[in-house]
Amino acid sequence: MGKDIVLENITKKFDKIVAVRDMNLQVNEGEFVCFLGPSGCGKTTTLRMIAGFETPTKGIIRYKGEVINDVIPQKRNFGIVFQSYALFPHMTVRENVGFGLKMRKVPKSKIDSRVDELLELVGLSDQKKKYPPELSGGQQQRVALIRSLATYPEILLLDEPLSALDAKIRVNLRAEIKRVQTELGITMIYVTHDQEEALSISDRVIVMNRGFIEQVDKPIEIYKNPKSRFVADFVGTSNFFEGELKKHTVVNDKTGISFNVTSDALKAAGAASGAVTLSIRPEKIVLLSDGKNVPADFDRANIKKGTIEVVTFLGVIVRSLVQLAGQRIIVDITETEFEERRISMRDTVSFYFPPGDFLAFRGEGA
Amino acid sequence: MMNRQEELTIKPVRTVLPDQVVAYIIISVIFVYFLFFLLYPLVQILKTSITTESGFTLSNYVEYFGKARIRRSLWNSFYVASITTIITTIMAFLVAYAITRTTIRGKSFHKSVSSLPLMAPSVVQALALISLFGRNGLITNWFSGKWDIYGAPGIIISEIFYCFPYALLILITTLSAVDTRMNEAAESLGAGPLTVFSRITIPSARYGIFSAAALAFNLTITDFGNPIVIGGNYNVLATEIYTQVEGMQRFDLGATISVILLVPAVLAFVLNNYFTKRNYSLISGAARPFLRPSSISKKALFSTISFIISGAIVIIFLTILWTSIVDVWGGRSGESKQILKWLTSFSTRHYNFAHRGRSISVVWTSFWISIIVALFGGWLTLITGYIVEKRKPHGNQLLYLITVLPAAIPGLVLGLGYILAFVKVNWLYYKASIIILNIIVANFTLGMLSTMTNMKNIDKSVDEAATSLGADLPKSFFQVIFPLSRISFWNNVLFFFERSMVTISAVIFLVSPKTQLASITIIHLIDDGYVESACAMSTIVVGIVVIVHVIFLSIFKKKGIKIM
Repeated sequence: MGKDIVLENITKKFDKIVAVRDMNLQVNEGEFVCFLGPSGCGKTTTLRMIAGFETPTKGIIRYKGEVINDVIPQKRNFGIVFQSYALFPHMTVRENVGFGLKMRKVPKSKIDSRVDELLELVGLSDQKKKYPPELSGGQQQRVALIRSLATYPEILLLDEPLSALDAKIRVNLRAEIKRVQTELGITMIYVTHDQEEALSISDRVIVMNRGFIEQVDKPIEIYKNPKSRFVADFVGTSNFFEGELKKHTVVNDKTGISFNVTSDALKAAGAASGAVTLSIRPEKIVLLSDGKNVPADFDRANIKKGTIEVVTFLGVIVRSLVQLAGQRIIVDITETEFEERRISMRDTVSFYFPPGDFLAFRGEGA
Repeated sequence: MMNRQEELTIKPVRTVLPDQVVAYIIISVIFVYFLFFLLYPLVQILKTSITTESGFTLSNYVEYFGKARIRRSLWNSFYVASITTIITTIMAFLVAYAITRTTIRGKSFHKSVSSLPLMAPSVVQALALISLFGRNGLITNWFSGKWDIYGAPGIIISEIFYCFPYALLILITTLSAVDTRMNEAAESLGAGPLTVFSRITIPSARYGIFSAAALAFNLTITDFGNPIVIGGNYNVLATEIYTQVEGMQRFDLGATISVILLVPAVLAFVLNNYFTKRNYSLISGAARPFLRPSSISKKALFSTISFIISGAIVIIFLTILWTSIVDVWGGRSGESKQILKWLTSFSTRHYNFAHRGRSISVVWTSFWISIIVALFGGWLTLITGYIVEKRKPHGNQLLYLITVLPAAIPGLVLGLGYILAFVKVNWLYYKASIIILNIIVANFTLGMLSTMTNMKNIDKSVDEAATSLGADLPKSFFQVIFPLSRISFWNNVLFFFERSMVTISAVIFLVSPKTQLASITIIHLIDDGYVESACAMSTIVVGIVVIVHVIFLSIFKKKGIKIM
């Protein structure tokens, strides 16, 4: 697989605000990558630099090995899909899709057949004479998608393309974008703040925060092995405990709470002592039954008592907010378990924190 | 799978110049235009006022403040402008209140009548006053009046009706945007109607009121048409500039008075801008609840006020029309008391301008100059608005500031600056070209601001989508932005046309016997004592503007349905 886009030491400043800091990244041919991060993290700025709408303050952008910093957007032949669809409201669907080909002076008959072919691809053949405002949001974004594909772009850039749509349409269209990508084998760079979207469709996820790349990995790795407290917090839900690491125990002097952790869990922190932050996913915390014996392989030091504050029913899982050692944590149990235990608010129950399910990050705070 | 073979038939996009370069070229052209036709003339004014052949001097200023007669013009201007401002603001507030907060009938009548003065040269008010209250006026004759309308009272009354529609527009916008639920909350807490009015309604609209007042002050102090016609011996700054330059050939003193006039004019403009911004920040987007039916006494009060004011405006225009078609206004000798008789002996002779030493061809000149101004002005504001708002090249903030400046400069001052600056430029001096360039600059601000509003409503991504699909700046502009800005564009074309047809102060120094305009001819006709013919010319100008306006509006209506 060849490298399609390479970003080398890219920095982008707007006046005094640094939007992107010293970024390095490779995107491979035919790959589907997602930029994921909160608003203002620099993901859209990065996409706009690749598109050619912004010029990097420092650094080099390469496309197939050639530096394209100064290539104007019109010559890059990268398709772009915008959050607001950005369809031309005064042109029919057919004229919208054919616009890029018209700009390239392609004969009308060829434009027509290409437009028909694309409309078929997304099942909108019967809508071609309509104007964009007459279509639903989902249909409009489909039109925007094929409009950007009409000129056989080498790369497709999508800037939060589904943010303006309803939840259900979003899921459908997401699958459709993925299908089109696989079918055409085109490189796609996708920007979103929706972690579910990023994890479900991309080959690799680039998590960004404050202009920095926090982690580049496959979706499952991002979730299972976040490399920083930010990623653990932003992708999925995590509980955090701050403390001092001594051998395999993390102690918080203020709250008096301590947890034993395994060596595997400490890998990310890469140190044997000092200030660390532990994180653990809500579903990894085990709710212990009263009266029953604790399994022999449980590390008794990691059993803590907490008071249930709020119980929220979320469908398959039940989420509890628990007051534990002076902080509020989130514990998820299955609906079946919830039925069996019949826990209710203000109950005090024991929880087990498996030492191997922690992840430790160096330092305190985010 | 797609047939990748076809890809070969697609040629890459051909672009002549990168968009940024195109944007810089356009921005530079506009910059140069404003440099030569706004900043340079203003510098010439300042320079003329403080230099003689021997160098720097303040003698002109000493002379201005030394001569009691000339010095009075400053005081007179402030006096007239202050009184006009107070009365106009109160009147406009009452009518705006009637239109937005009561359930009186005839709201659309009041609105359309009050837009009439915007379509007329700022001389018709004074002209109508002369026809009614002048030495041989209808009402003067009727009541054997001995009053003298010439002077401060005449100027003030004319200016009130000239400024009224501008103030009304601001106050209608303000009052219809302020959340009326505040009033209801106050009422529910036990406040009586007068308390609500003085403690809630007026304070919540205060920035709109200040903004309207500042605009009225600016309009009055810079107006030339009305005071020159009805001022008599009562000189204001604007008329004094004209007297010094045209009468005495004292360009230096004219320039000096111009600088003095610039100070209050710019100040009022800055205040107006400031209050407008504050006003918009107060306006809430909250939905307005249904307007409850007003009490009968409230309706009676506000209907009466509104109809008196609208009626006065209608009378102004009817008087102009009537005066122009009556054989002899005031009747032939001995007929002055038989009012009905002379009011019904009609004649078209006042439309024969050749008998008055003038020519009907000025209408044609005004018309074609206005069409050129309209098209150039429309395109220029659209292109500038597009580049500044959507392409944001470096320096666009500076350009924006410069394009806002003309609204602060009195037309008369800019016109004098043109004469001082371009006296040696053959293709400009006393040619149509200088008039066209001047009217576009003088009215650029409002056209530009409305374009910017329109541009802000067009999603930036639409422009970028066109770019990413291969359209360069001109293609994106003509194929995407222009079709989406049609209404705003034609609105601006109409605006420039109307301003060009009715402007007096901006062009009074720029016309010549060869290139004469209809609006200026009105002034000359009055000067020569032909009030009826001046009314005839006014009727023609207003008629053309109203007809063009109506044609545009009906086309908008048809197109509006198609576009939405």
